Amino acid sequence: MGRSLKKGPYVDAKLYRKVQLAVERGSHEIIRTWARRCTIVPEFVGRSFEVHNGNKFLKVYVTEDMVGHKLGEFALTRTFRGHSGRKAAAAAAAPAT
Amino acid sequence: MPRILGVDIPAEKPIGVSLRYLYGIGPATARTILKHAEVNPQVRAKSLSEDELSRIAAIIDREYTVEGQLRRQIQQNIARLRDIGCYRGTRHRRGLPVRGQRTRTNARTRKGPRKTVAGKKGVKELRR
Repeated sequence: MGRSLKKGPYVDAKLYRKVQLAVERGSHEIIRTWARRCTIVPEFVGRSFEVHNGNKFLKVYVTEDMVGHKLGEFALTRTFRGHSGRKAAAAAAAPAT
Repeated sequence: MPRILGVDIPAEKPIGVSLRYLYGIGPATARTILKHAEVNPQVRAKSLSEDELSRIAAIIDREYTVEGQLRRQIQQNIARLRDIGCYRGTRHRRGLPVRGQRTRTNARTRKGPRKTVAGKKGVKELRR
């Protein structure tokens, strides 16, 4: 179910403040955040974030098309390296070296 | 055979049914269109007058996206998801279910026919 329109989009207050501060200062520093659930609002466009995926921070550069999505949608939390078996094992061994 | 919006030629069926042969028009949309155009949905498509047909066509043209345009719109939406590199985009790219369904079993509509892997648990039992 979608979120009630009455409430408006969920934007992490702390993160939003940080972005505004960066805009004021004109700095293009990468902002580290855990707020995966935060909606991307137009103010975020053109900024870089590092979004936590539960393990490490993944770089996300926000473009105009991303507005309305959540930050977490761009930092995948799962790694799938293929199923086990001869073919997959060979493929997994090759790039590791 | 009557034509509505160029190419599509619904048939010997009641207009409420034959309208649904247009891509993007289902039972509910067909009903509202016909109500709007003041055409009885039970009447066969072949016995509609020129005027009635043009009224229906005008409403569809004005208020709905159908056929090629709708298909294009859907493709664009998917392409957008792919381009921005979000989770849903990657699911589309890999041909897996997009809306969080399980993939351990089922999901055959998206994944296509089963690709059996030899030596995997259960394969031997299947052959017996």
